[in-house]
Amino acid sequence: MISGRIAGRTTVALLVFAFALFYVLPFAGLVERAAEDGRTFELMKSDVALDALRLSLITSTVATVLAILLGTPVAHIIARRQFRGRSLANALIDLPIILPPTVAGVALLTAFGRRGLVGEPIEDLLGITFGFTTTAVVMAQLLVAGPFYVRAAIAGFESVSPDYERVASTLGAGEWRTFREVLLPLARSNLLAGIVLCWTRAMGELGATLLFAGNLRGETQTMPLAILQAFESRDLGLPGAIALSLMLITVALVILVALRLVTHRSAYEL
Amino acid sequence: MSFSFDASMHLGNFRYEAAFAADSELVVLFGHSGAGKSVTLQLFAGLMRPERGHIQLNGRVLTDTTARIHVRPPERHVGYVVQELALFPHMDVRQNIAFALDDRRGAAARKRVDGLLELLDLEGYGARMPRSLSGGQRQRVALARALAAATEILLLDEPFSALDESLREGLRGELLRLRRELGLPVLFVTHDLREAHLLADRLAIFDEGKLLQFGLRDDVFRRPASPRVATLTGVANLIPGRVLEAREGRLLLECAGMRLWCGPQPDAGCFRAGQAVVAAIRAELVNFTRHGEDHEFNHLQARVAEDLSYGAVHTIRLEATGRGPDLRAEIAARPHSVLGIKPGSVWTIELPPEDVHVMAAEANAS
Repeated sequence: MISGRIAGRTTVALLVFAFALFYVLPFAGLVERAAEDGRTFELMKSDVALDALRLSLITSTVATVLAILLGTPVAHIIARRQFRGRSLANALIDLPIILPPTVAGVALLTAFGRRGLVGEPIEDLLGITFGFTTTAVVMAQLLVAGPFYVRAAIAGFESVSPDYERVASTLGAGEWRTFREVLLPLARSNLLAGIVLCWTRAMGELGATLLFAGNLRGETQTMPLAILQAFESRDLGLPGAIALSLMLITVALVILVALRLVTHRSAYEL
Repeated sequence: MSFSFDASMHLGNFRYEAAFAADSELVVLFGHSGAGKSVTLQLFAGLMRPERGHIQLNGRVLTDTTARIHVRPPERHVGYVVQELALFPHMDVRQNIAFALDDRRGAAARKRVDGLLELLDLEGYGARMPRSLSGGQRQRVALARALAAATEILLLDEPFSALDESLREGLRGELLRLRRELGLPVLFVTHDLREAHLLADRLAIFDEGKLLQFGLRDDVFRRPASPRVATLTGVANLIPGRVLEAREGRLLLECAGMRLWCGPQPDAGCFRAGQAVVAAIRAELVNFTRHGEDHEFNHLQARVAEDLSYGAVHTIRLEATGRGPDLRAEIAARPHSVLGIKPGSVWTIELPPEDVHVMAAEANAS
């Protein structure tokens, strides 16, 4: 009995250790190589790196804000209303989550590219092209990362009993006030978690951006693209990729921890 | 203060239909779950729209389907409390109550909230968060919040059912006190017969979406309109029979071979000789007599087949030894022991004519 329990615990401990090792080692390797290479700091300060970082921060933030603006009403409708096609809409939201981002990139090209479904008439009428611009980067990130926010927001709204909104409405609160003062605060933890997921996913977006927005330094070259290019180039190579990766990890960690602190503080027990 | 309510709509598998009106009284909506009680409150609060209906509160039309009027919930001035209370967990008691006020920060709001805290015995709890309150305190916060705005009617949807019996007892008394002080009409949903009896000025009996009977509490309990209402309101003895004679408002029935005089019936004129009827008598009105003379009318011999003690009350199953129906009786513990009722003993049972209520047999009743 007792020896069986000890064996069980040892097995679990070993599995946990193996898991932790697998997750820690790659990052340890990264840091080790970066520290070894004298050029790391210099590479981090290079224009290529700083341009890519700035572009990544701006586009992923804009994409996240757009996801919140466009996704919140959709999430509210799916969580609260009964309508024909609701389960279809619910399933479609998950589509970009389960598809490889390269497919999303191809899809964006066929819709918004210069020869695309809407891209062509828009270019003819307004002279605007989306492809290979910073806008295209944001669009790619929005398509790939937005559903993470919408999914979390749906779960958040569904976790709040409709009784709260119904009672609030009988207490004289209109729909907007009820949403702002009752539903939003009660779904806050879920919404913040969704924002974090969406933003980090946008920061890491590569496939769709590469296909739809290209890899133009300062305009569409985000951090992941810059890392890929550095890795493939002759002059920078692996050390360049390492330096850029370390930058991306650091920035992402700082923002994640900050957001986690905010989320944690807002989580009151019900 | 008065209201009237009339609405109908399709609701899942059945049709919802109810119409009633009252002044500032406490109306208990009673029935099993899914009978249409909560729907009535939601229709009144404007949270649901009926297919056809007219709802009026103190002369204001809230719903009128023919005139296409549907006042939105925020403008109805109803105080709606649900079973789960739905106190806003991210606001303290004071903020919860003030949520209903137009101006939530001014001196007037502060005074109003203070008044409500005092009215509901919550002084000193204004800064507490709902999760730190006891069940009874939360209940009172929900009531205070529902009363905060210019509330003209209270709609209470099983507000006490999640609480311990001891707490419910106190809150029922509190509700009766509040009602006296405020003079508001109250619609109170419950499936607890004792609670219904204690609180109701008027009773509305719901079953499968329909309002079966509406009236003063004692009228509904004593004179159920149909065997179904009798069953729902706890009438234990429903005896099928036939009218032998109907004269001067009195009825003579024949039930299971026994002749049964019934006291004055308000609608005796509706019955004719030969008609199939159901006689209802509540278990607590069935009389045991020790050496009762067995008259031809209203008496029968019966054996105690089962005797269950609930402490203060015994419920007894009686089997007729000769003519007459089997019965259920209820007798307080004291007379039970004085009489010496034992399983298997035979008694003369009297069914007092004034306590027998006669209803037309339902078409589908056997």
